Amino acid sequence: MVETADLVVVGGGIVGCAVVHQLAQVLPASTRIVLLDRGPIAGATSGSSMGHLMVTPDDAAAYALTSASVRLWRELQAETGGFDFQDTGALYLADTDEDLALLPVLRDQFVARGDAAELLDARQLRELEPGLAGDLAAALHYRGDAVVLPMPACAAMLRAARQRCPGIDVRPCCEVTGFDRDGDRIAAVRTARGPIATRNVVNAAGVWAPELAERCGQPRLPIFPRAGNLAVTGHHTTPVRTQLLEVSYLRFAHGVAAVDPSRTDDPGGQAVNVQPQSCGSCLIGSTRRFRGFDRTLDRELLHRSLLRACRYVPGLAAAPVVRAWVGLRPYAIDKQPLVGPWPPVRGLWLAAGHEGLGITLGPITGRLLAQQIAGLPADVEARHWLPARFCA
Amino acid sequence: MNGASVVDADVGVVGAGPGGLAAAARLAAGGLSVVVLDEGAGAGGQIFRQLPPGAARPAADHEPPSHASGHALLAAFAASGATLQPLATVWDARPGRLWFEQHGASRLLRCRRIVLATGAHDRCLPFPGWTLPGVLTAGALQVMVRGFAVPPGRRALVAGSGPLLLPTVTALRQAGVQVVAALEASPRRRLWRALPGVLGHAGRRREALWYARQLWRAGVRLQWGCTVFACEGDGRVERAVIGRVDAEGRPRRDTARTIEVDVVGAGFGLVPSIELGLHLGCAARFDAGRGGHCLVVDADQRTTVDGVHAVGEACGIGGAEVAAAEGEAAAAAILRDLRGGPAPAGAAQRAAAERRAADRLLGAFAPLPGLAELATPETIVCRCEDVTLHQARAAAGLHGTSLRAIKVGCRAGMGPCQGRICGPFLQALAGGEPGRPMDLPVVRVPLKPVRTDTLLQAPPG
Repeated sequence: MVETADLVVVGGGIVGCAVVHQLAQVLPASTRIVLLDRGPIAGATSGSSMGHLMVTPDDAAAYALTSASVRLWRELQAETGGFDFQDTGALYLADTDEDLALLPVLRDQFVARGDAAELLDARQLRELEPGLAGDLAAALHYRGDAVVLPMPACAAMLRAARQRCPGIDVRPCCEVTGFDRDGDRIAAVRTARGPIATRNVVNAAGVWAPELAERCGQPRLPIFPRAGNLAVTGHHTTPVRTQLLEVSYLRFAHGVAAVDPSRTDDPGGQAVNVQPQSCGSCLIGSTRRFRGFDRTLDRELLHRSLLRACRYVPGLAAAPVVRAWVGLRPYAIDKQPLVGPWPPVRGLWLAAGHEGLGITLGPITGRLLAQQIAGLPADVEARHWLPARFCA
Repeated sequence: MNGASVVDADVGVVGAGPGGLAAAARLAAGGLSVVVLDEGAGAGGQIFRQLPPGAARPAADHEPPSHASGHALLAAFAASGATLQPLATVWDARPGRLWFEQHGASRLLRCRRIVLATGAHDRCLPFPGWTLPGVLTAGALQVMVRGFAVPPGRRALVAGSGPLLLPTVTALRQAGVQVVAALEASPRRRLWRALPGVLGHAGRRREALWYARQLWRAGVRLQWGCTVFACEGDGRVERAVIGRVDAEGRPRRDTARTIEVDVVGAGFGLVPSIELGLHLGCAARFDAGRGGHCLVVDADQRTTVDGVHAVGEACGIGGAEVAAAEGEAAAAAILRDLRGGPAPAGAAQRAAAERRAADRLLGAFAPLPGLAELATPETIVCRCEDVTLHQARAAAGLHGTSLRAIKVGCRAGMGPCQGRICGPFLQALAGGEPGRPMDLPVVRVPLKPVRTDTLLQAPPG
């Protein structure tokens, strides 16, 4: 007898786990959902990432979505817990006149969204973070950001989901090999362990979402891997308590890339991103470069990001680095994720392409997609996320 | 040359144990420039570890006969013209390039050939109380006693499996420590299986007789089929619970009894140190009889990566004789490659013969799977990240049964040791499905923790 499911979610990263978690909130407890991943849960991009929950003020729509998602993170922490969650806040740093001038602009953007952020002078900055370089003239302190460990967070979402819907089946190390269609409608998912008959599939495969869509006979989605190098120091070595990022990070990370992501001559770049972890380790990033699926360490970019991190946090120079690695961010060509139905195939839903904001935006992505699947009104407006924009 | 940030040599050897020394001495004698990198303060490696300057040397009859060959190797190395770079930690590499940290400086060795003589590390098995102060690996005990002349306690329990229990006992005795009990987990019939491998090899025969005499003089009797079940104490080890295990190593709880000790040496064999080889791209295969994953080499000790040779324990646990013979074989092949000339006279054949003899002996002490049952759900299995067996099992259940899944799911193996301590145990936990190959350890740069500024000052290669 062929196995059946109401829904199959493909991709066990933060987005897939959040989709399952949110579906469990809005669908009947008897719903049968299967979550598939070809590797471990949170074993790819999510497991390689920083876990910075970042509220971005530079655009009203982006602010609404990031702040709503961070709120959902706080609810998850309050209701289920079981994962590392730290209210670190964030410090936006600058060491050039040009970047220093951006700090009040950023503060005004937070204020314009009805939020608040505080400009710190050199003395206030040293009081808050004595581990920062002594020559920094100012910084912007935003209290709303937080830090999570993505892997246990994924596990917590799945645990909470299974409590509401016992019929949720999580299958790591189970690859999707293809799809069966019934006319223009999804009929089944074929996996390495046999077919699953279903009328709804969520493609939450991140950087591999285009590959999965192709297996469904769809043209390549405009999502490209954008590599990032991270290093982590030993326990009890972090000289800071607040999530640090250069103010230029917003420009660098959140704009549409200036290069063609399908080419391989991207010189790449970096902006300082230093994150204290609950165990006292420090994560040091972050770099961005398009170079396909290559996950070998990019020594030149890593070097630049470590050098810049030590410029802001001199104590990091003496901290032992335990390990460095590369993760692949799913970059959508217009820098907006694809969340919603894929019109050419009925029953095929997308939730992918979050670039560096997947951990932040996971819960709201899951919420919006679950509401669409269940036919409920949306919490937040996100028409610009609809994948239909790529179906001309 | 000592201070330069970039060092050039024909051959870079990693590890100054018997394999590295034999290779380096032969290569230098053949006219090649050789630099040996070792994490220790002097040459000799773990087995021929040298006491610090000024420490009283043990009388000759306090050393096992094999150490005569160690002295000979050290003398040959010293006379050969090869250079030792001590206290050097290799943290990154690619063929022809070895980045290392030494005295806080970031350095690079550029060479035409690499010889990996990286040795082995202790196989750790989690049991209740194994993280208490005073509980050490057999290797760590020997470092304290033989490397620093520091007695680790007064009353010791030595427990584990394999021939290395013997030098642990004698080292403790010579440091004035009373050995209350010496427990070998293997059933006694393994001794009979191992005997041909001992008696058929002149060096091992002498060695075994010497250790038998030492134990007899000290009044220490090796108890077969017994092991440590747990260690207890307030802030440090004060008591050990010991008892019998069945033929598979499963503890027989009904035989448990408690003894008073203040130091415990636990040595469940050795695991080949292959991280550097894996990082260089060398293929490895799993061989339980040789301690786990071993680098794949041909008769000339060539790995699957051009210009990279491997010798000794990295190719499978075999002991000092195997390592030295394989070092000679690697050197002969490299000399032939780089200097031309006649084919070496039988070095590869001698290495193969030593390896076969060692396999016969050590195959008898393959890890006992039942010893994994010493750990209870509350026992910490990853001591870097404080992960319990219960948490590791839950991670394996949710995230998938693989080493990587366990690591992702509960952070086991993500700490400073990079899985060297918990790896073999978690490998067995992950490898629950029969027929699936054991997962290779995941290797990341830096191979050993180094300071951020060491990474920043790394000479470009």
